[in-house]
Amino acid sequence: MSATCEFQAKDYKSDLKPIWCPGCGDYSVVQGIYRAMAAIGRPPHEIAFISGIGCSSRIPGYTTAYGFNTVHGRALPIAQGIKLANPDLLVLAAGGDGDGFSIGGGHIAHLIRRNIDITYIVMDNQIYGLTKGQLSPTSQKGRTTCTSPYGSLENPVNPLLYTLAYGAGFVAQASPTDLVGMAAIIEEAIRYPGFAFVNVQSPCVTYGEEAQQIKGLKAISESLKDLGHDPADRLAAMDLAQHYGSKMHLGVFYKNPEPPATYDAQIRERQIQLSQGALPKERILDLFIKK
Amino acid sequence: MRKDLVFGMAGSGGDGIVSAGDSLLQAASAEGYHGVMTKSFGSQIRGGESSCRVRISTDPVLNPGGNLDVAVALNWEDFLKFGAELPVAGTTVVIYEAATGVPENQIPLVGVTPLQVIAVPIAAMAKETAGTERAKNTVVLGLIAGWFGIGAVAVMKGISRKLAKKSQELVEANQKAFDAGMAFAKEHPLKADMTIVPSEGKGGVKLLTDGNDMCAAAAIFAGCQFFGGYPITPSTEIMQFFTNHVWKYGGAVLQAEDEIAGIGAAVGASFAGKKAMTATSGPGLSLKSEMMGLASIAELPLVIVDVQRGGPSTGLPTKTEQSDLFAAAFSAHGDVIRPVLAPTSVADTFRTTIEAFNIAEYYQTPVIILSDQEIASRKETLDPIDTSQFKIINRLAPTGSDLQDYKRFKQTENHISPISHPGMLGGTYLASGIEHVESGAPTNSGSVHARMNDKRIKKFDPLKERKDLFEITGNPNAPLALVAWGSVAGVCREALQMAREQGLDVKLMVPYLLYPVAEQTYRDFFASVQKGLVVEQSHLAQTFKVLRMHLDLPKGLQSLARSGANPFLPGEIVVALHHLLSELQRSHEGKLQPQE
Repeated sequence: MSATCEFQAKDYKSDLKPIWCPGCGDYSVVQGIYRAMAAIGRPPHEIAFISGIGCSSRIPGYTTAYGFNTVHGRALPIAQGIKLANPDLLVLAAGGDGDGFSIGGGHIAHLIRRNIDITYIVMDNQIYGLTKGQLSPTSQKGRTTCTSPYGSLENPVNPLLYTLAYGAGFVAQASPTDLVGMAAIIEEAIRYPGFAFVNVQSPCVTYGEEAQQIKGLKAISESLKDLGHDPADRLAAMDLAQHYGSKMHLGVFYKNPEPPATYDAQIRERQIQLSQGALPKERILDLFIKK
Repeated sequence: MRKDLVFGMAGSGGDGIVSAGDSLLQAASAEGYHGVMTKSFGSQIRGGESSCRVRISTDPVLNPGGNLDVAVALNWEDFLKFGAELPVAGTTVVIYEAATGVPENQIPLVGVTPLQVIAVPIAAMAKETAGTERAKNTVVLGLIAGWFGIGAVAVMKGISRKLAKKSQELVEANQKAFDAGMAFAKEHPLKADMTIVPSEGKGGVKLLTDGNDMCAAAAIFAGCQFFGGYPITPSTEIMQFFTNHVWKYGGAVLQAEDEIAGIGAAVGASFAGKKAMTATSGPGLSLKSEMMGLASIAELPLVIVDVQRGGPSTGLPTKTEQSDLFAAAFSAHGDVIRPVLAPTSVADTFRTTIEAFNIAEYYQTPVIILSDQEIASRKETLDPIDTSQFKIINRLAPTGSDLQDYKRFKQTENHISPISHPGMLGGTYLASGIEHVESGAPTNSGSVHARMNDKRIKKFDPLKERKDLFEITGNPNAPLALVAWGSVAGVCREALQMAREQGLDVKLMVPYLLYPVAEQTYRDFFASVQKGLVVEQSHLAQTFKVLRMHLDLPKGLQSLARSGANPFLPGEIVVALHHLLSELQRSHEGKLQPQE
């Protein structure tokens, strides 16, 4: 990381007015991100913040970082291209549950196994909000929505268990019910040297069910710290993660105590190693000389 | 004696027929000849049929040639599977494996009497001399050296270099097999002298490579530092070349989880300020179309190589076709112009790839290179290229004053806005697929959308004026014309030479820029044209239709179009031109005469 200097949360807030509904959980998420960025102190121009499509994917525009609001489900492929092209950047990716676990659901497993140093924040509200209330990949079975008028017949994806099972080095869950805790978790995720996943239970005030609003979430929330969970214990984390949907555990499920080398760091090594004695690129056609 | 020879050889996967072709081309190149080699396979990985076509000439070679001068069949079943890819005519010497048991007067080629047919006990000779039938391809090379005068020394030099790593015994065994082939040829002279004219030692340094490797090398030369892609035939070698070399130049490669992530990573790398590319073939191009639209609206430079194969869907994965023009020009929704370029040979793949990067960077746009299976996998001997003559263009960077109040999508006179990238102080902005105002902030405004569409479309006007992206040969006022691009262009170049030698007044246009359609350049070209042919390997005649969409074509301009994997022969194009001329003469009641 390059030299850091003093920044405050407001230095990361842009002039754009969010399109979100009043009371949307995503307001708290962007606040949490401002605070985490300020705590880390990288200047905004050294941060690339990438998203897909959905209400929550508007989030990069509300920061002063370089933002890229891409296409549906593809925040991660684009974010990894940015990180591999310039490993010095701090790269954040964000989006909703539909973006990350439905249309873009194939990418996260590969980001995890590559261990590229990107922090991925999913604002999980169990509904498609931007298209006005359809079933999402994290909606509970039986849920009635405009595309499941007789109740959903399918089980939800479990984002926590999914990322843990693929071997993510950092998996955590946060919620607007605890803004201070959320900012701290996002900061810890960004500081983790490798791929980090934060699932944020962020209620949809317009299409969300009563039980998923702040009051309902508070009722099922439990702090992992208070439970005495050891974040170095991956199996215990998986055990707890099974309660996704019925309980809301907040905090760090798993943090690899011995983070392995990241993909992006290894690229640097390879570039340095192989550039020794290479032909200048003006002479690259010499590779084709047959004598 | 001959100045030019076309060999076509076919056998089963394990027969080493393609490696024999490689050795022959390398030897010819070492002896100073020009050459081209194309390969064609069934889609089996092991076994199945495989073939190659090698053309060797004292003059630069324009295409893999028409009818074969020499056909080699290690078995008839596999040879026949290639049909029109290995055309035998009355001028062909046919050499085949005697163990097939087929009598020389009963070979299974319908409706043609070859110049000469010779059964050779190739497998038996290999077994007898080298102790294994695996040396069959070396026997074939010996026969070729004996009968046609190519590679008597250089072939064995090449083989020895290759095999010496394994064992000296293997080298000696192959030398015996080669000598046996040579001796057989001496004992059974051909009826006609078909030895090649000596190359007069015009050897010197030559390059030998194929279109995919050339494309990747050109990209690195142009400054490309990121490749994101997914393996797909017949483009994969581009990614392989990158992963072997780009690290040395500070770049990186990602073999992504799918085609979408491959181009996505390249879009990301471009956003991060690096020159980036992806490569694919038809099915991958279909998958990448949404990302191409994103790169267009976010005005990000990006090069996408589509090595065309037969389609739709999986189609003919190992055979060439020119049926992706519509997809290249028009896939992805919305009103958008995406430049499409096409190389016509391995040699000009270097220039075309550099142009693609220059156009992508200058206009801040995705650019598609439409290569095809034939160019991608064919090997050509090339004279060394003076790389210092190629200018490299980089994207327009913001100046200090631009960064005072930075507007990423600022309206400018030429519609091109300075582009920053993450890490640049003062340049932060929001890139997006959403319509945006000049700062990059999202908007829903219809009037802004109209203005921004205008910017993104009008910026390409100067590109349509570029005459240097078109090759026009022949009499500029000729009444007859040919239009062809990609690998078919080489066939038409040869057809043009033949037609002019036969007194036809004809000209040829080869566009390297396929889209946007350079309307005025075509209008000027067609001004004198009364009859002509647009020649292409596309059943739907996509090129003809794209031209018709943009221009009023001359009434006499016709389409000569067919499905892929059925190569055009220069001779048939000349015959078609003669037909056009006689139509023209009839319609003019003899007013127009062919040239003396």
